[in-house]
Amino acid sequence: MLTNRQRLIVKTAVLTLLGAGAVGGAAGLAALYGGWYNIGATAQHFPFVYSVLEEGMKQSVRNHAEDVKVPRLGGAEQLQLGARVYRDKCLQCHGGPGVAQSTIGMSMQPIPGPLVDATQRWDPNELYWVTKHGIKMSGMPAWEYHLREDEIWAVVAFVTVLPSMDTRSFKAAVAPRVAP
Amino acid sequence: MRAVLAAVVLMALAGCAPNRPPGGVQGDPVRGKIALTQYACQSCHLIPGVPGSKVYVGRPLSEMGKREVLAGAVLNDQAGLVRWIRNPQAVDPNTAMPNMGVSERDALDMSAYLLSH
Repeated sequence: MLTNRQRLIVKTAVLTLLGAGAVGGAAGLAALYGGWYNIGATAQHFPFVYSVLEEGMKQSVRNHAEDVKVPRLGGAEQLQLGARVYRDKCLQCHGGPGVAQSTIGMSMQPIPGPLVDATQRWDPNELYWVTKHGIKMSGMPAWEYHLREDEIWAVVAFVTVLPSMDTRSFKAAVAPRVAP
Repeated sequence: MRAVLAAVVLMALAGCAPNRPPGGVQGDPVRGKIALTQYACQSCHLIPGVPGSKVYVGRPLSEMGKREVLAGAVLNDQAGLVRWIRNPQAVDPNTAMPNMGVSERDALDMSAYLLSH
């Protein structure tokens, strides 16, 4: 049997936890319904919030892309297809060497990164996974249901050769094709 | 004694105040900081005071007030900086920095922020 003293300790602990939970819950509800948080995309995140979200995103992609098998990439035809896909689906938000993204991509929060340095951050299996599944709450759409498998791999292949392109070759690669 | 105390207090206060642009710089640095993020500058550049990923696609924009020349071609006074921001190709036709379509006013405010950090 518990002594009176032990009973008092347990009772105090339980009541303290319940009290803290109630106060925390009330504070959470007040923050949620108070609307004080500025959801506007002109207000930046706190630096540490940005860093934590980015790190979580990186680790999630690494983990989920682990089992993706990378086919042979970089054939001339595949790169041409990739350039077309890039022009039609990526350019408006990510831009490219010497080419600005559209205003849609300029003012998003978080900002869509440039892809010329993508190979320093991601391996091809991860680029494939991000392109296919998108990234929740970031504005990066999932392309699984809008691009064919070979188109996704083609655009991954194109992104991996981006660092070797200067502005002139990039502009030529994404130029609108004139029908023959 | 009193003068010394006043000077110390003033110096401490100056440390708290937001960075003021150096003399002769026009434009609104507070508005300029937001404008920088609305033209995606931080997608390629590290900008002091603006949270973002560690990117080195463009040159970090810290200590812009101390740089003398931009892109090896333009004098880094406010007019030169505004010119570079608004039309980089006019300064260096081969630069990878795109023309972001920045308005005169926004470029002036951006330069005011950059030159005061």
